[in-house]
Amino acid sequence: MPIQEIYAIAMLLAFFALLLVGVPVALTLAISGFVFGWLGFGPMLFNLLPARIYGVVTNYTLLAIPLFVFMGVMLEKSRLAEDLMAVVGRLAGNLRGGLALGVVFVGVLMGATTGIVGATVVTLALLALPAMMSRGYDRGLACGVICASGTLGQIIPPSLILILMADIMNLSVGTLFAAAVFPGLLLAGMFAAYVIILGMVRPDMAPPVPAEERALIDTRQLLLRLLRVVLPPVGLIVAVLGSIIGGVAAPTEAAAMGALGAVLVTALGRRFNATLLWESAAAAARITAMMMFVLICAQVFALAFRGLRGEQLVEDLFAFLPGGVNSDILFMLLLIFVLGFFLEWIEISYIAVPLFLPIFASSGVDPVWLAALIAVMLQTSFLTPPFGWALFFLRGAAPPEITTGEIYRGVLPFVALQLLAVGAVFAFPALATWLPRAIGW
Amino acid sequence: MSRAADTLEALVEGLGRLSAVALIGLVLVMAGNVLLRYGFSAGSVWAQELEWHLMSPIALLGAAWALKHGEHVRVDVFYARMSELWQRRVEFLSCLAGLLVSLAVIWLSWRYVMQSWMQGEGSANPGGIDARYILKGFIPLGFALLALQFTALLLRLAPQLRR
Amino acid sequence: QTTFNWRMTSFYGPQAAFYSTGPGSARDLIDRIQRMSNNRIRIQFFGAGELIPAAEGFDAVSAGIVEMNYANAYFWTGKTFAAQYFTAVPFGLNFQGLNGWMYDGGGLDLWREVYDRFNLVPFLCGNTGVQMTGWFRRPINSVEDLRGLKMRIPGLAGRVYQALGVDVRLLPPGELFPALERGVIDAAEFVGPYLDRQLGLHRVAKHYYTTGWHETATASELTINKAAWARLPNDLKAIVENAVAACNVISEAWCQKNNADAMEDLIRNHGVEAKELPDAVVARLREENTKVLDAAVARDPVTRRVHESYMAYKARFDAWSRYSEVPYHNKIREA
Ligand code: NA
Ligand code: NA
Repeated sequence: MPIQEIYAIAMLLAFFALLLVGVPVALTLAISGFVFGWLGFGPMLFNLLPARIYGVVTNYTLLAIPLFVFMGVMLEKSRLAEDLMAVVGRLAGNLRGGLALGVVFVGVLMGATTGIVGATVVTLALLALPAMMSRGYDRGLACGVICASGTLGQIIPPSLILILMADIMNLSVGTLFAAAVFPGLLLAGMFAAYVIILGMVRPDMAPPVPAEERALIDTRQLLLRLLRVVLPPVGLIVAVLGSIIGGVAAPTEAAAMGALGAVLVTALGRRFNATLLWESAAAAARITAMMMFVLICAQVFALAFRGLRGEQLVEDLFAFLPGGVNSDILFMLLLIFVLGFFLEWIEISYIAVPLFLPIFASSGVDPVWLAALIAVMLQTSFLTPPFGWALFFLRGAAPPEITTGEIYRGVLPFVALQLLAVGAVFAFPALATWLPRAIGW
Repeated sequence: MSRAADTLEALVEGLGRLSAVALIGLVLVMAGNVLLRYGFSAGSVWAQELEWHLMSPIALLGAAWALKHGEHVRVDVFYARMSELWQRRVEFLSCLAGLLVSLAVIWLSWRYVMQSWMQGEGSANPGGIDARYILKGFIPLGFALLALQFTALLLRLAPQLRR
Repeated sequence: QTTFNWRMTSFYGPQAAFYSTGPGSARDLIDRIQRMSNNRIRIQFFGAGELIPAAEGFDAVSAGIVEMNYANAYFWTGKTFAAQYFTAVPFGLNFQGLNGWMYDGGGLDLWREVYDRFNLVPFLCGNTGVQMTGWFRRPINSVEDLRGLKMRIPGLAGRVYQALGVDVRLLPPGELFPALERGVIDAAEFVGPYLDRQLGLHRVAKHYYTTGWHETATASELTINKAAWARLPNDLKAIVENAVAACNVISEAWCQKNNADAMEDLIRNHGVEAKELPDAVVARLREENTKVLDAAVARDPVTRRVHESYMAYKARFDAWSRYSEVPYHNKIREA
């Protein structure tokens, strides 16, 4: 084995070790990348690092992160979120898991407005995590449903994953958007079904809102509150979605409409003041900067992985395969799943997908189906510990009493559901291919 | 030592606040671009480029500020079970590594920024924002702030590494 | 014998048709160089985003971190406006004319001179031929129809449209489709029938305005780091020079064939209406374009030299065309 590939493996091991010891996530990436990259190929390739950092901090689509995070923080700090969840809990009545279902539903709606996982997870966490905790939800379940619902935006169009897939696989963005609609809804349905079933089997994990709390709000008051607290945030989501569908704003611009809308909604609710604005902006800026810092440090790691010919390592693994198109596809999906433990999805897309494309192209696999499979599988990478974006975002937004262990435990069932969805798309290609054909995209 | 740390952190706090200002600016500029699109197109290329010019200060000036406020995430599966002493030791070594990483990035990005400055690099879109070296200059500036904040943390942690 | 292990980055994605894959593309160029040199030059290819973001190749090669980059020169107008002329100038030369200027009219020499201060050696390595004006959701019948029209069109052409009242939007390629589909923008410009069809633009806008006034033939560029180039022995230099010249012709031929097929398919099977911009609109665009170029020339002496060389060649090429190509297209071609 060439020395560089040994360094590549050592880098992965060092990354895991540092992560587990408790070194901040961003630094684990930068340290392991710099050390083993420098050993393997010296400083030369790292001269490309500034170009990559510049690419990250000027990336147009990432602009949605600060905008949506600002929207979420504003709703939380104005206490609109708290009131909202109280009303959702009341509406759900004695249905077990009602709040969690609300999370899935909001996740779908937000997913239809943005393709940015971080923003959705943070918003959902700020909206719903305190509410679920105070009502006795199992913390793992609360975390899991927030992370999983927050990632729905990556499969429900518009989505960054689909846009990148279209670019890498040379397909139409529109076709992929259409192809992802049913797999996305399928996933959302599976999450909802899981919550409902869990509520029946383990009522202690997803209790209904206590009757005495519900009694505090009578039906007339409920209607009144519905108007006062539910309409604004729902209106906000509809405004974001509506400005996309109505052709007022492009997807990223719609995030700005959401942010501005949050200010208006708080002002209309007479909760707006300069302190609130400043504190929301400050919190949103710091959360955004934290996310971007992880992404920036991930550039060091990715560059080192390239320089140490990590893609060669992956290719060598591929040579061991028995052959046959289906086994190739399954291997690729497995590889994406495994890479998801330590790489972020953009890098996975660039490393794994181009490697396999020539093979699939020559064997006549439907590229749209393939892209949908890859997109659903890539989505699991957001959830798989230890390196899962959704997990970090939740960690950043969750109160300190929630442990990382609880978050990890909570997402596992959802990772299993994701794999099930991958299996469904694999077994029934029409899930992905029917809609684009039907609407002629 | 802690006086020195206070001074460094005051600087990080001051410049970090600019990232929140940039964020408010981003909301106003982008929403403004959408709303003013109807019947008002003069200078719009400039205003559109301003949108993604604002991300750079949010991310890079905000990173050290977020560090000061303890917002950088870690996996605490084992960390949470360590004694406080060991947590401080891990933290100290992390900050030391963070300082080295920051210095490395400053060193690497310096030439990149100078290259842009020497070229007098402007926008590829006529009517866009020129002086790209300022935008690129946020990279070394942001990491310089990070280096200061890591140093401040090191100064605070150094006396507490022994029982 | 020394072997050279080089890297090539690209402005385009790893699988982009025409640019990264297919006859005359970056990968084909690499393949030719490697075969002709019996692998004495080995080149590892990185699509946009794989090693560095799309627009970073110029600086990376300039600094000597990467040896080669594949792009179009007009992406670098922020570094020197003259770069525009080495890709395509609105109302400029066609494929034949551009080749004539580059090879025999001093264009290539000027290009090398302009890029010298960036430590780059440029090569002409491909061409899309004439591009299309673009996709419009509504027909354009007069100059008035352009006023307030929201169009995604970057670069110099955007500036010219802006002078006619077009609201120029700078959307990333990924948001182009949803924005056009929902009517956030009314029009978008991309490349030509084959590549546009791949993006799916015909599904959301049916009025396809043809022959692009803004890109009459769009050249691809290969840049090589000056020091790296100097290290190559003469035989390898000759191999690179011949490979880029081959790809220049082969890529354009590929485009002609595929655009012809795609255009027929778009019109016959997808209800696309192909049409030409009204004469009055073209006249106004030409007028504004002249103003914009004159202003750029007045600002920068390097641009002035390139502009004057280009336009002098164009005047002679146009005069000759009146005896050669123009009668061919107007009388001889269709019997
Ligand atoms: Na989405
Ligand atoms: Na993961």
